Amino acid sequence: MRPPAFAQALLAAVAPAHDYEIVAGDLHEEYLRILHSSGANAANRWYWAQTLLSIPSLLSYSRSNKSALRHIGVALIALAVLLAMFAVIFVIDAAFEKFFGNMDRIPDWMWFCVNYADTVVFGAILAWLVRPDGLRVSFFAALFLVLCFVVPALAGHPGSQLSLAAWIALLTVIPAMCFGAGLYQVVSRRKSGVS
Amino acid sequence: MAKGQYLGEFEHIVLLTVLRLGDGAYGAMIRAEIERVTGRSPAIGAVHATLERLERKRLVSSWIGEPTAERGGKAKRHFKVEAEGVSALKNARKTLERLHTGVSLREAIA
Repeated sequence: MRPPAFAQALLAAVAPAHDYEIVAGDLHEEYLRILHSSGANAANRWYWAQTLLSIPSLLSYSRSNKSALRHIGVALIALAVLLAMFAVIFVIDAAFEKFFGNMDRIPDWMWFCVNYADTVVFGAILAWLVRPDGLRVSFFAALFLVLCFVVPALAGHPGSQLSLAAWIALLTVIPAMCFGAGLYQVVSRRKSGVS
Repeated sequence: MAKGQYLGEFEHIVLLTVLRLGDGAYGAMIRAEIERVTGRSPAIGAVHATLERLERKRLVSSWIGEPTAERGGKAKRHFKVEAEGVSALKNARKTLERLHTGVSLREAIA
């Protein structure tokens, strides 16, 4: 019997990279104790509650020795990357408009590809910049992007290009980040030799 | 005592719990002991965040143990209270005792 997989993935996304194994091990130990004394349902409920209640605390600290100045530097670079990506998207959009003459002619699959690609590239650049806490930053980036696109998705006129692009972005950000989180876990487990 | 060395309420609880459990206390053990003694059920993340803060203040130190099967093959981080930690606990107790001096809680309720 294993703890809920999605709760474990969430824990992996928010825990500091250096402490994920420690925190997950502590939860696993207590999970097994509750499982034997109170059953699977109680143990799963307890694991979920612990994971959700731990999110603010786990996001608030890091054991890495990076200085505050380095964190500010990384944040500025991330902001610059984000702005650069918006600029690139603007240029691409302008090029599309010029090429097609009419934005409405752009097929949905092309919007989908452009949105998916920029989300994955943005997450990958951030993860590369701030390893080993890349996963956590990707989580923040996902939250940020979701917030950026929720407003236009809800405010945009139903069926408009803005609304469509926002919804496509929303539906692609979360799977992209989950894919990145899973890949990170597999790679880090192989590196540490933990099965 | 430097301002940064004062203990918050939860820091106080965690530091005392590590001292009660002795050298080698670890996250799950500390969380369970706090729950048993105080009746509060803290999140494991809050315990680890507090331990990290105490370690940064040099009140506790830690080391990584071996991975074990009952933890799903994951290692433990063990903690021990340093001399500065004991000193911070003594100061916190003295401060509370001074504040309590001359105060009657029975009269305050009446």
